[in-house]
Amino acid sequence: MALTALDIYKLLPKTNCKDCGFPTCLAFAMQLTAGKEGIDKCEHASEEAKQTIGAAAAPPLPKIVVGTGDRAVILGDEVVLFRHEKTFYHPTAIAVSVSDALPDEELRERLRNISALSFERVGQALSVDLVAVRCESGDPGRFAAAAATSLAAGGKPLLLIGPCTALESAVGKTGTSRPLVCPPPGETENGARLAASRKLPLVVRARGMEGLAKALAAARAEGATELVADPMPADAAQAVADSVFIRRLAITHRAREIAYPTAFDLGRGFPQPFAAACLLVAKYGSLLTLDTADPAEIFPILTLRQNLFTDPQRPIQVEPGIYPIGNVTSSSPVLVTTNFSLTYFTVRSDVESAKTPAYLLIAECDGMSVLTAWAAGKFTGESIARILAESGIAAQVGHRTLILPGMVARLSGKIEELAQWRVLVGPQESSALPAYLRRLPPAAFAAAHG
Amino acid sequence: MADPPGGRLKFLPEGVSVSLSHGETILAHAIRAGVTILSPCGGEGRCGKCRVAVAGSLRGGDDPGILSPEDRRSGIRLACRCVPLGGEVGVTVLPESRPARLSAYIEGREMAEDGPYLPFHVVPEKGDPLGVALDVGTSTLAGALIDLRDGTVLARATEDNPQMACGEDLISRIVHGEETPDGFPFLRRLLLRGLDKVIADLLASSPGPGKIVEVTAAGNTVLSHILYGLSPAPVRRPPHRPALKEYPVRTGKELGIFNAPSARFRIFPSIGGFVGGDIVAGILASGMHRSEAVTLLFDVGTNGEVALGNREFRIACSSSAGPAFEGGEVACGMRAYPGAIESVRIAPESLAAECTVIGGGKPAGVCGSGILDLCAELFRAGLIDRAGRFVPRAGAPFRETDRGIAFVVVDAGRSATGADIAFTASDLKSVIRTKAALCAAADALLQAVGLSREEVERVYIAGGFGNFLDLRSALTIGVFPPFPLSKFVPLGNASLAGAIGALRSRKRWEEAVSLAPSTAYHDLSSDPAFMDLYQRALFLPHTDAESYCANLSPEIAR
Amino acid sequence: MTIPSAAQTYPGRILSVTLPAGPGGTPVTVGGQNALPLVFEGDRQHRAVVGMEVATGVCELAPSLARALGGREKDPVAFAKACVEEWGAQFLFLSLSACHPDGGGQTVSLGARIAREILDAVPCPAIVGGCGEEEIDTKLFPAVAEAAPRPVFLSYADEKNYRLVGGAAMAYGHGVVSWSPIDINMAKQVNLLLSDIGVPAERILIDPLTGGLGYGLEYTFSIVERIRLAGLGGDGMLARPVLCHLGDAWKAREAVEVSEPSWGDAVVRGRRWEEATGWACLAAGADLLVCGHPENVAAFRGMAWR
Repeated sequence: MALTALDIYKLLPKTNCKDCGFPTCLAFAMQLTAGKEGIDKCEHASEEAKQTIGAAAAPPLPKIVVGTGDRAVILGDEVVLFRHEKTFYHPTAIAVSVSDALPDEELRERLRNISALSFERVGQALSVDLVAVRCESGDPGRFAAAAATSLAAGGKPLLLIGPCTALESAVGKTGTSRPLVCPPPGETENGARLAASRKLPLVVRARGMEGLAKALAAARAEGATELVADPMPADAAQAVADSVFIRRLAITHRAREIAYPTAFDLGRGFPQPFAAACLLVAKYGSLLTLDTADPAEIFPILTLRQNLFTDPQRPIQVEPGIYPIGNVTSSSPVLVTTNFSLTYFTVRSDVESAKTPAYLLIAECDGMSVLTAWAAGKFTGESIARILAESGIAAQVGHRTLILPGMVARLSGKIEELAQWRVLVGPQESSALPAYLRRLPPAAFAAAHG
Repeated sequence: MADPPGGRLKFLPEGVSVSLSHGETILAHAIRAGVTILSPCGGEGRCGKCRVAVAGSLRGGDDPGILSPEDRRSGIRLACRCVPLGGEVGVTVLPESRPARLSAYIEGREMAEDGPYLPFHVVPEKGDPLGVALDVGTSTLAGALIDLRDGTVLARATEDNPQMACGEDLISRIVHGEETPDGFPFLRRLLLRGLDKVIADLLASSPGPGKIVEVTAAGNTVLSHILYGLSPAPVRRPPHRPALKEYPVRTGKELGIFNAPSARFRIFPSIGGFVGGDIVAGILASGMHRSEAVTLLFDVGTNGEVALGNREFRIACSSSAGPAFEGGEVACGMRAYPGAIESVRIAPESLAAECTVIGGGKPAGVCGSGILDLCAELFRAGLIDRAGRFVPRAGAPFRETDRGIAFVVVDAGRSATGADIAFTASDLKSVIRTKAALCAAADALLQAVGLSREEVERVYIAGGFGNFLDLRSALTIGVFPPFPLSKFVPLGNASLAGAIGALRSRKRWEEAVSLAPSTAYHDLSSDPAFMDLYQRALFLPHTDAESYCANLSPEIAR
Repeated sequence: MTIPSAAQTYPGRILSVTLPAGPGGTPVTVGGQNALPLVFEGDRQHRAVVGMEVATGVCELAPSLARALGGREKDPVAFAKACVEEWGAQFLFLSLSACHPDGGGQTVSLGARIAREILDAVPCPAIVGGCGEEEIDTKLFPAVAEAAPRPVFLSYADEKNYRLVGGAAMAYGHGVVSWSPIDINMAKQVNLLLSDIGVPAERILIDPLTGGLGYGLEYTFSIVERIRLAGLGGDGMLARPVLCHLGDAWKAREAVEVSEPSWGDAVVRGRRWEEATGWACLAAGADLLVCGHPENVAAFRGMAWR
């Protein structure tokens, strides 16, 4: 928040009464500035303090929910411009479109393809969030039927794109699933009335920032409150520029009249949609609609989203311990590496593709990668020797040979000295593991004698 | 040449006189006379802090680079460069040339402003009432004997903390306590023995018979716990919550201190975590809690505590900096005793080290201020790079040792031990880690409350160095953030000064008691910003080098 | 209704750095901007530039690359020509991987000679990388620095070898790529060390280590953003052009796997995997991209703005 701990402290009673649960008013102020506590925790705060601190703590970007239950998609509700300042909370929502002009069998096939856009990476499931139904037939009844079919097919929340007549019809059939309605730019007021009456979120489309601000005001005047802004850029360059400006206006300038999550339609002939999608995932796009259902394109976009929306302050870790890969035996190789989630999954994946059963020994390193952990003194000759002794791996294998990541080859002498295991220096890059493991002589893992 | 007739030097306002010794500077005379004059640079004529107003026959000390023409015309000289020639010479130590708070306790000026002398004491049946102020330090125990009739300091004494045998730093001692049977009671007995010795030394120096009736003691939370027979283990583990932050008054007999059995012991309260009574006493002595000026207080010792604030707010932390500045963790390091190299210069052409030794004899090792100088000089001479690695330069006294490459400070032939006094790359790493922790702690506190470095108006330096920390060396290698030199005020042993102040005035004691709970404790180990600041500070002087150059280059250049 | 302008001004400006070319080639200049990328604010004299990697050693190519390069990569000189003349690379990243024991075990002198041949044959600006094996590179960098017929950038100098690489660069008039493993403090520290030994600022590029998509890209993204913000904020040591080498994208299993039909066609997927990595880097502030796939050169260069 904009106020520093000291700014907040000056507004507090400064009695250190501890009623808020913190030992000093300054400690409480530090919690407030970090957004970890609310001013309501202090019963003795003045009205002025409550107002000022409350205003500073108010979220700069509203939260819009599309869909219901565990498939609900959240747009907006962000607090920082750069993920390194804290984190981004809600990954860019991706919608893949289906046209109501498609014959029924093709419509269902398309919906099946969209459902199949589901991938697993590093223990997380990635998939498309919404189905965007386009009214291209001009027929409200047909549009409503297509919407209902889409909802039934995959259970994903809907983005309904069409003229207000078609939207009304579709909302009649799918309204309880809380779809996001998207009328064309000329029909903002009608669309807003519909959205307001059914308490649904609304995309407001208008070209340019000034036009958009006017349209948003008009929508609010009709009683629609849950709004998503689409500045209708002509190309990727304009899209990114608009997206950045709107987010800055919301967070830095607190310009409430244009502080909304953003939506971009990258289908319908939009130039270079893949590039635009990648850029907008990186730069504040809240919802992107794509016409492509090609996994070769969707998978990278979803992975980019997965990467950029991880919390930078929490390295993901796996539990230290012994991880057998494949059908291990007592002469299977033993590899050691750190418990940084990415390291673990990468090495594991590479060992799997080597088709050589092996034991992966994961060391507790506070979720740091190999080099970082070594630099921080958490992945050392001593610590590795200790894992060899304490993890129980010695009972699982007959040999005493350890494969060490090439990056920390210098630790091999120390490990051999302390643990009395033989150390083989593995490749620098995990991706070279398959070749490396295939080249290893089996004698390397024969049972140790004596 | 015939010797000129003898003479006398009279120091004002103390009124202390000392016989004139030819060729000695005023500063040297002052040290002999027990008159304290600030000299952060160690008498090298570089810092300009030892200003005195002189009258009589003298030579030198009027360096135009440091003193202004008006100063020189009004008879102000630098005590470290001015040599009295003979006859009666009057030297008035200017107020700004005294350690700020220590001066108040010597001169008694501040006490008068604040109200009458207000000790707690009871009048003993026999003998004069005496008070003892104790600084229960991790490495050194220090004490002062006070005549409670009028508050004068009768004697001072120091002893090594006997617990050092169980570990140089507090964590090692806690580990020892937990892992050895009877560990904590043993540590307690060691501490009591040390305190008894200090008190015995003080009594031995007392001019007349007296009885100790009041004792104030300021120490780290861990030591306060051990003194009270409480296990300090909870302080070490997150959330670092002390078992007790306020310590009830006990008699010496109840605590187990034989040399002051009926005295009432008041232990300064702790702020939180490791930040204990010694910091509270230091804050008290500095007066920062009564001033509007935003102030930083550094206690440069093994624990490396830093406090930030003013009368409105205060926040403190412990950086666990490490004992490099106490001479620990550095192979050739030693305490500041006779035989310790306390300042170092590296000659630009020969690249050899020139040293000043405490006591003047053969050097046996290097103490904190010397280690600091050595690192600064190595950096200035281009013998180490910003990352703290040795740079091989032709003619430089590097030698291969069994601990790796080392810079030879003193050859075996000229050292007291008969072995090289050598400084290795890993010694340098220890120093860099220590200084990075201290610097980063200060920046972390500023960031936590939302203040910039520019908003800090004063920087107090307290702790193990005493007055002999060369600030220029410290800033050259980045021990502190780049505040201008003029903002720094050395305090010497501020914990002891605070303990003395509390002994003399119950108002001061009450201030201390309310200081502790109103100072926020900041846990660095759970502050993500600290790790980043620490990494940045591992460079010489800092990764943000431009802020050091911008603020300080004339002051830290050779 | 007036909306406040969201354009931002910054006190700093990124230093312009020129990668010189040989006779007949076109030099490229990067940097010089005083604003973040992709937004209409400030002034930008130069656009980001795109180069391609030419490796001298044998390596197994991803299906997507194999299809696009059509075997041309087997002859480094011909390949280098194709990169520039056919596929539009604005500079070359010459990776002397053949000198690595696993890449061919070429001698240092042969490696340096081949580098010279390529630099003679193709006059476009070049960055020359070592083989990745520390001991060999200690000899390779000075050899290349001496053999190069014209100024190039040596990749890379880090906290350990900055004296060697920086020294070689200064002795023969080359530039230096300053490398750090996704750590903004180390990025600045290496630049300080290089500056201390006299490498001129306008001959330094920052390589913060680019993690491939799915394998650390987010770390690179944030470091590049932070470096750029620091530079624009006035930190001179970080106000330098940033180079992102997209090679790690090809190490991802997802970029090369052919036996997962649900992942789509590997030929498309591989190229898109690198492309997504590149867009993220550009969005964060990268000024130079090194890519492997020819179509991505066109895609990145095609953006008419930046």
